[in-house]
Amino acid sequence: MALSIADLPKEDLFGPGHAGCGGCGAAVAGRQAMKALGSRTIVTIPASCMATLGGSNLKTTWQSPFYHTLFEMAPAVSSGIRAALEAQGIEDVNVVSWAGDAGTADIGFQSLTGAAERNEHMIHVCYDNEMYMNTGGQTGSQTPMYAITSNMTKGKTIKKKNMLAIMEAHGIDYVASASIAYPLDLIAKFKKAIEKPGFSYIHILAPCHRGWQIPPEKTIEFARLAVESGLFELYEVEDGNRTRNYEPPFIPVENYLLPQGRFKNLTQEAIQGIQTSVNKHYGRGE
Amino acid sequence: MSTTLLTGSEAAAYGAKLARIEVLAYYPITPAFPAMERVSKFIDDGDLKTRFVRVESDHSALAAALGASLAGSRTFTVTNSQGLLYMTEVVYHTAGLRQPVVMAVANRALSAPHSRFPEQGDAISQGASGWIQLFCENNQEVLDNMLQAFKIAETVRLPVMVNYEGYIQSHTLEEVEIPNQEKIDQFLPLNRVRTLDVDNPQGVNTVASPEFYMDYKFRQNEAMEQALTVICSVASDYAKEFGRDWSGLIETYQMEDAEHAFVAMGSMISDARIVVDELREKGQKIGLVKVRTWRPFPAEALREALKNVQLVTVCDKNIVYGLGGALGTEVKSALYGQTVRINSYVLGLGGRDVTTEEIKQVLELSEKTEKQTTASEWFGL
Repeated sequence: MALSIADLPKEDLFGPGHAGCGGCGAAVAGRQAMKALGSRTIVTIPASCMATLGGSNLKTTWQSPFYHTLFEMAPAVSSGIRAALEAQGIEDVNVVSWAGDAGTADIGFQSLTGAAERNEHMIHVCYDNEMYMNTGGQTGSQTPMYAITSNMTKGKTIKKKNMLAIMEAHGIDYVASASIAYPLDLIAKFKKAIEKPGFSYIHILAPCHRGWQIPPEKTIEFARLAVESGLFELYEVEDGNRTRNYEPPFIPVENYLLPQGRFKNLTQEAIQGIQTSVNKHYGRGE
Repeated sequence: MSTTLLTGSEAAAYGAKLARIEVLAYYPITPAFPAMERVSKFIDDGDLKTRFVRVESDHSALAAALGASLAGSRTFTVTNSQGLLYMTEVVYHTAGLRQPVVMAVANRALSAPHSRFPEQGDAISQGASGWIQLFCENNQEVLDNMLQAFKIAETVRLPVMVNYEGYIQSHTLEEVEIPNQEKIDQFLPLNRVRTLDVDNPQGVNTVASPEFYMDYKFRQNEAMEQALTVICSVASDYAKEFGRDWSGLIETYQMEDAEHAFVAMGSMISDARIVVDELREKGQKIGLVKVRTWRPFPAEALREALKNVQLVTVCDKNIVYGLGGALGTEVKSALYGQTVRINSYVLGLGGRDVTTEEIKQVLELSEKTEKQTTASEWFGL
């Protein structure tokens, strides 16, 4: 039976009083995920906005233990935490590493691929805002083609690396994409990941309105447009079986792209290219 | 209690086993890897109930060990040279988080040029990292220091490195007495501290603003100073229980009436004992000061030990470029204001042999050298 809002705990384990910007997509993702993960969860977060907006000095909004790790090591740290829990016979605790796109796909990739290959009993979350926002918005491997960033002012010239396909290739227990505009789908996926004995990877598209140059109140709207246009597919892979979780209406990609300041240099030809690519490749992770 | 032939690597592994480590995380590197393999074998044979995290890099090895420690488990890792440098970021971080991780380091030269041979430059490079560092002169001390390391670490809440030289110690068999497990259990009970605990949630390593950061660092340094006392009391407790006294910070040998002191650390010490005995027989008033604890640096103990000598000869198997041998530099700093001749020598880098013969030659050279014109002289080029 599908999950409904009435099924969710009222309690917020992450959220109230956080130090993120108004309209922060990362904070929304954290709040939604913790509804599924619950208080018996240890979260490790490498350098990122998420590592700092949950607390500083003697204050924190986290109601469960969290550890701000070094940039490239959250999945390794989580592996060690899981090993210690197992050694102590503690079985009812979820272990999560929660990284941005840099801490997942770039500087953090080595420890991620290591933990995934070992099929460690943990969940890795990539909250993807498609650029290095904690340092002011530079280009990374998850930045889409054409996007303007603070260090590529004419736009990125190459494609976004497909992390979901890469993680699927590890043969881990569970791979899923999720969007903060589809909270029930996101929460259901975390509930599924908790039950897996091995490694789960959840990739969340979590817009950053500053980097994307959209109004802060439109964070969720743009997260939804990405899915509706077919540029971000909601799906999951379990035991090698791929399931699409949502059939998008395929609104024109320009409805998603053009209102974003980061795509202001997009030519009609480029838009056409992206549209053709969606029409041709949707659902195949290309 | 039983005596057997063990390499330094095996001695470190037996130390980890006797300490009943709960989590082992490592990435293989030469010449440290036999220690890791031995612990893995204990696990595979069912002699040790330890979770082994087979990480993909040295950086992740210490990261996983740190995670396990934060979750309350006694943890151990092994590395050296490039592996130690690669994990340097986590080395500093672990000390800042005050986690009692113990790491064995089979000291090896650093690249470039590439070398897989012994020297102490890798450990020296971590001298400002906030780890307690012990240097061992033989394989028995490797085993005994491993056990003392966990005790020290868990008392002052700081990580400890147990250093022994690659090949010279890591791959050389020596007679080692293995203490009785029950007695070790009494000596080293696990005082479990869960920093990451779902029943007592807290944020770890939250951002510290300028009003907080410096105070954390003050406390961390205070723990290092506390370690000066704890290392001595742990060594003396161990000696009472197991009959072997490695002393705490430094050990003096034939120093009662010595006019000339040889100061060094690590494998050179066991050779230097032979040299000192020989020269004593010839009537020379020579003694030996072994620096067992490199961090925290035992300045006060060295001042006391060296207060009556006329000449101090310090030997370093490391070079701090543009400065000199690390121990030589720090001995000079410790003896500031005392009227004593101090000659510092850099030798044995990248596996160049230092035998009793070289030590004799250095001592002779030092006696003839009225005043060194360089911070450290290179010996054996």
